[in-house]
Amino acid sequence: MRSQRFLGYAYLAPYLIGLVIFTAIPFLTSLYLSFTSYDLMSSPQWAGLSNYERLFTRDRTFEKSLSVTLLYVFSTVPLKLAFALFIAAILNYKLKFINIFRTAFYVPSILGGSIAIAVLWRYLFSTEGLVNMAIATLGFAPVDWFGDPANALFTITLLRCWQFGSAMVIFLAALQSIDKSLYEAASIDGAGKVTTFIFVTLPLLTPVIFFNLVMQMVQAFQEFNGPYIITQGGPLKSTYLLPLYIYEEAFKKFNMGYASAIAWVLFAIIMVLTLVAFWSSKKWVYYAGDKRS
Amino acid sequence: MKGIFRSSMIMAGTALGLVATAPTAGASELRMSWWGGESRHVATQKAIAACGAKHGHTVKGEFTGFDGYLEKLTTQMAGKTEADIIQVNWPWLPLFSKDGKGFADLRTLKGIDLSNWSEADLNSASMNGVLQGVSVSTTGRVFFFNTTTLEKAGVAVPTTWDEFFEMTKTVKEKLGPDYYTFNAVKETAHLLTILAVTQATGKDMVDPKTNRVAWTPEELEAGIAFLGKLVQTGAIRSQKQEAADGNVNLFEKPAWSEGKIAGSYEWDSTYSKYADPLKDGQVLKPVPMLKLANAVTDGVYRKPSMVFSVSRNSKDPQAAAQIVNCLLNEPEGIDILGTSRGIPASKAAVARLGKEGEPEVRAANEIAMAASGPTISPFNEHPVIRGLIIDTLEEYAYEQIDEKEAAEQIIEGVNDVLAKFD
Repeated sequence: MRSQRFLGYAYLAPYLIGLVIFTAIPFLTSLYLSFTSYDLMSSPQWAGLSNYERLFTRDRTFEKSLSVTLLYVFSTVPLKLAFALFIAAILNYKLKFINIFRTAFYVPSILGGSIAIAVLWRYLFSTEGLVNMAIATLGFAPVDWFGDPANALFTITLLRCWQFGSAMVIFLAALQSIDKSLYEAASIDGAGKVTTFIFVTLPLLTPVIFFNLVMQMVQAFQEFNGPYIITQGGPLKSTYLLPLYIYEEAFKKFNMGYASAIAWVLFAIIMVLTLVAFWSSKKWVYYAGDKRS
Repeated sequence: MKGIFRSSMIMAGTALGLVATAPTAGASELRMSWWGGESRHVATQKAIAACGAKHGHTVKGEFTGFDGYLEKLTTQMAGKTEADIIQVNWPWLPLFSKDGKGFADLRTLKGIDLSNWSEADLNSASMNGVLQGVSVSTTGRVFFFNTTTLEKAGVAVPTTWDEFFEMTKTVKEKLGPDYYTFNAVKETAHLLTILAVTQATGKDMVDPKTNRVAWTPEELEAGIAFLGKLVQTGAIRSQKQEAADGNVNLFEKPAWSEGKIAGSYEWDSTYSKYADPLKDGQVLKPVPMLKLANAVTDGVYRKPSMVFSVSRNSKDPQAAAQIVNCLLNEPEGIDILGTSRGIPASKAAVARLGKEGEPEVRAANEIAMAASGPTISPFNEHPVIRGLIIDTLEEYAYEQIDEKEAAEQIIEGVNDVLAKFD
């Protein structure tokens, strides 16, 4: 019995060791570094709150990067969730070859974070890319997707939205678990498809919407590959998300202390927004057995 | 219990087997990291294999393009996991080794024959009096023109900027508005602006006596306006047009390989990187420095290009030094590397290569070496200063600021960075 208990710890050990080495120690180290001046080559020098003071009072790049990041997150997450839900609802129907469709729609999620897809995106949306060729065949003028600061962030947003597969699969699983008798009852009561979706399906999906909302928001705040490969944060820093700024400060300008401070501000923002999401969930998320239901 | 015992025996047996097949004493497993283009990668892989075989070591190559190399090296240096032999850009020496302790002291390693370098070369690669690398070559920015495109338009290779602007007009009239005679994006735009100011003033950006920007705002303003003129005359694509294509290197652009961008301002040693992608036998030629009408110097941007350093964390620095010596001073390395990193700085390599190697790289290097210009400060390529200038030129290109504001912004920002090194 005792050896059984140790066996459990032994199974846990690889994960715990990984968690401590690759997450906990770097996490706490970056907190310490955020209060230092550290150029990577020499020992960190204690700098108190000066990194944070500079960040909030004198750094216009941080202001710009933060506003771009918030705009990116608040446009990407709702768009992606809406699209994922829309496709999941379609794939929930019993259609011919439905499994092939489900696989096809999920594939972008597997490929989406890769460098190759970012490079492909660059070619698709370049001046003479496939997207502009398609637009031209419809008789419209080509769009400057990356060169115009007003469009560049939107193009990066589209890349993120295109990777809707994982959220879609979760929605699909949730849709399939809804009790069919609820739809029958709604139908008997005379509810149409739209009414049924709004008053039956959506409330029952709220736990999954909440889960996807939090996960997608956290991931969107950490977006790096797309803007780094495609635009390098430009033009005019219109796609300069905070992870890019952290990376440049740390590895191009050798300001690891300052980069750590930005990382911790980003962490605080994600934390606050997640707490807000959890707090607000009491008002709009319905669980089975909930007294309100 | 029996199972555990059996597993232990298998693991012990495997370990014993590995030990038995490990290289014999004296042989080391080394890593070497570098950046470059295709031709350099191929040559260096062959050279490290040949030098490894000669000295009984195994050398594994870790190579990439220039983009991202600094970041990778920074991460490795911070984690003490850098390769045993490292190709380091000369302006990065103060970043990694301000006190001369970033890399192994090459004077303490027996394997390298330092008599192959001049004292000036060795001093330029020393930090705080400690030799941190050996110079691979001296490099400079030179002009490359696609002479096939120019011949198609019936124009001669220009010798001055005035001729260049005349030529641009003719090329666009004869070949079409989608033809450009030059390229200037990001780093190249930065160095072209420096060139224009240096030609007009004879001064490098940084005054070594005061450690501040040597140019007046008016002088820099004229240099930025020169960049603006290149766009207005259609010689180069605007920054907006460049951004619209995404972040693509010049040598990867179809317009370059088709000859629709007919020139650029690049390092002499990178000739092959730009010549290789040209289609249908088009010819790329290095040409002498174009000069402004009011030029007081050629304004060449010339510097030690790169050094080979040995990691101070190397398990076998003596073996690493042997390989460095072989690559730069011994026939096996010299013959294979040729001019893949430009014209070598090592006397042994110069003597052995004679006039061998790529003739165009040699011609480009001769142009860079013959041209006049002030001594270049490594601060021109300090990552913060470079980022500041490129960002400001982008704001100017997008008409967020005018030349005057751009000049003031650059001088103020650069002086702030320089002040930290007082």
